[in-house]
Amino acid sequence: MDALNNVFVNIADAIRGLFADSHSFGADLTINIIVFIMLFLIMVVAALFLSLVERKFAHWVSQRPGPNRLGPHGWFQFIADAVKMLGKEDITSANADKFLFKIAPMILVGITLMTFGVLPFGKRMVAINLDLGIFYFLAVSSVSTVALLMAGWASNNKYSLLGGLRAVAQMISYEIPLIFSLLGVVMITQTFNLSSIIEAQKTVPFIVLQPLAFVIYLISGIAETNRAPFDQVQGEQEIVAGPFTEYSGLRWGLFMLAEYGNVVATSAIAVSMFLGGWNGPEFLPGWLWFILKMWVIIFTMMWIRWTFVRMRIDHLMHFAWKILLPLSLANIFLTGIGIYIYQLLILRIGG
Amino acid sequence: MFGKGLLKGLSITIKRFLEPKIAEGYPEEKPTLPPRTRSSIVLEPGKCISCGLCVNVCPNQVINLTSEKDVNNKKVLKTYYMNIGRCLLCGLCTEACPTSALKLSQEFENAVYNREELLWDMIARSKQSNKSSGKVE
Amino acid sequence: MTIEGTQEYSINMGPQHPSTHGVFRMVVHLDGEVVTKVEPKIGYLHRGLEKIAESRTYAQFVPYTDRLDYLAGPHNSLGYVQAVEKLMEIELPERAEYLRVIFAELGRIASHLVMIASGSLDICGWTPWSYCFRDRERILDLFEMTAGNRMTPNYFRIGGISHDVPEEFMPALKSLLDDMPELLEEYYGIFFGNEIVQSRMKSVGILPKELAENLLITGANLRASGVQYDVRKAEPYSIYDRFEFNIPVLYGCDTYDRHLIRLFEIQESSKILRQALRDIPDGPVMAKVPKVIKPPANKIYHRVENPKGEMGWYIVSNGTTKPARVRIRTGAFVNVQMLPAIIAGWKIQDLVTIFASMDLVLGEVDK
Repeated sequence: MDALNNVFVNIADAIRGLFADSHSFGADLTINIIVFIMLFLIMVVAALFLSLVERKFAHWVSQRPGPNRLGPHGWFQFIADAVKMLGKEDITSANADKFLFKIAPMILVGITLMTFGVLPFGKRMVAINLDLGIFYFLAVSSVSTVALLMAGWASNNKYSLLGGLRAVAQMISYEIPLIFSLLGVVMITQTFNLSSIIEAQKTVPFIVLQPLAFVIYLISGIAETNRAPFDQVQGEQEIVAGPFTEYSGLRWGLFMLAEYGNVVATSAIAVSMFLGGWNGPEFLPGWLWFILKMWVIIFTMMWIRWTFVRMRIDHLMHFAWKILLPLSLANIFLTGIGIYIYQLLILRIGG
Repeated sequence: MFGKGLLKGLSITIKRFLEPKIAEGYPEEKPTLPPRTRSSIVLEPGKCISCGLCVNVCPNQVINLTSEKDVNNKKVLKTYYMNIGRCLLCGLCTEACPTSALKLSQEFENAVYNREELLWDMIARSKQSNKSSGKVE
Repeated sequence: MTIEGTQEYSINMGPQHPSTHGVFRMVVHLDGEVVTKVEPKIGYLHRGLEKIAESRTYAQFVPYTDRLDYLAGPHNSLGYVQAVEKLMEIELPERAEYLRVIFAELGRIASHLVMIASGSLDICGWTPWSYCFRDRERILDLFEMTAGNRMTPNYFRIGGISHDVPEEFMPALKSLLDDMPELLEEYYGIFFGNEIVQSRMKSVGILPKELAENLLITGANLRASGVQYDVRKAEPYSIYDRFEFNIPVLYGCDTYDRHLIRLFEIQESSKILRQALRDIPDGPVMAKVPKVIKPPANKIYHRVENPKGEMGWYIVSNGTTKPARVRIRTGAFVNVQMLPAIIAGWKIQDLVTIFASMDLVLGEVDK
């Protein structure tokens, strides 16, 4: 089991060994390029596959089989979707602001890829072992708001403008409960580094110590990725896809890629911070535990999407500012008191 | 407690998620339609007496028939065209026919690629009957 | 030139839009996200049915009536054939009357199911939509096994109905009625009991009682504003006076009540269906009607309670086989006025919800 656990680390070490000095600039560059390509592939495949899983889930809830033509029970449908998207005509509206219109999807995908860099898929299997781990993640993912606003404005379409402005309002409101709910975990472990946080959960996952923070994080995560019940950015029944209305073909594909990539990143952070990351009983390798736990969170997010209806924009803001924010502040306060009492007891008992 | 309705909704969804599928897998499993379904119309030219009741009762002037007189001075059917693209499939013509020469059938796969093919020559179609499904009442 | 402050702008929610129920166009004037004015523009589905009626005989027009409110299949022809029968003074056999009531109430349930389904679909609730349509399939199967078509059965005739029901009909209907309480529980649990739905729909789109009466709103929209008026109890037609049923009334006047009252109406219709199933006699299904229908020269106005509102048929005959004038007063056409009257001050998302609660079908609005 140890071999399986470390298979990727061993491959990386073997590649480093091909160089004369295994920590030279050349070796590092090669490993980084390989890791970058792997992350990109993970994001693309995950996004395509997740869109198919979402469709299957939605249909199974209504007792229908879902796409079932291509491949065994339809599980190769994402290949057809990818080919279809690549083959569509690329239309840029005549009066659209061309530069902003074209770089908006690129920025969104770039940001998602940048956040993938700090996700710890296993022991010593993180692309960049930043000491600023979670802080970097939150800082970079906030920039996606600007990309959506760019898409909304540059399309020269009233529906897109409405969607873009709604996106700004929603995403900046939900970032605050998101950040504050993670602060409790950081207070307990005294570090931002994701791998250290996972190692601190060897005995008990933090969901036991911070249940309220987990719920708040999950709700804010769903809001940040613009999924139902917080998806009025792409209203579909009101504003016909919001900022994405005027995009066709591969540009729209990039938006979908970024959306599902964000889903994967959000659930990976939830797994690392609250569910113990790659810790788990020994009969499965660590990175497999990570993937399984991520699937549980993604399943929950899909379950919520296909049951609930959309919230109205002012109820949403009300929910973020008047309910989630005080709750997360209360959570920080309680965590602080808990740590103080714990240290008092340890000092008393430990002598 | 706030949220009870939300949890009930989640429990309903997950219950249906785990139940067997009830959708019909169309081209592989074709449905058997009840015998009274009005999907298309067939004519038996042998029984037709060219009375013209079907032409008069049709609300949309779909039927077009010509006849000629034979040696016994009785009417014999010559041509019978139906513009099935304009047909409402209301069934009034089949009810009006006194000899039940005009009948409904359950054959529902009638889509064609050109609009001209929607002008059906009913006598020619009845000759190549035995076409696929379609129980005739 | 700079413009101080903010500016109102207008959006066209055109005939092709994911949430207007059919080909309906509205020009919406917005101030930010708040709607200030809505101008509905109708007529995209106008087929000239009233003019067509002047060149068809009375019996030939019945298939066209099915196309008015196409979601409640046979119910539309009920008003028309009853009006003509009043003109010609035809008495129907008992079995025909009972079967007509059964089909009319099944059409009502089918129409209300679509209303609840599309009300949920407009706020992105895909699952309740598929559950409602799954159950509507059972009703459409009943129509198909008896009359031939699913949505436009063309079942009623002047003087009765075209043919009797097959043997599989009664057991299938009985099993549907037995499953009905459980299905209504499911709809309540997944849609009406959901707190997000309640926060989206409660106190939204208030239609005060006086305004509803002044605008001549009819149907379930009126009853959700506190007025207890139903044509089946006010001027009973057919044999509705033999059945025991209540008229549900709610006093909230908001969108949630307009959706909830249709759930209650489905319950009441199932009560009527159970009583009809219990009491239906045997016998012929068509009265003795002359071969050529030529009513005497007269005028008549007959009203029925359509699922969408009150449907009135004004038929003027001049003694020939074709009517001189047929005027159809449909509930949905008059209910459209509700939208501009109550929309000021709500947001775009409420516009979609309010529009869904009005329960319009463009076949009725445009005829």
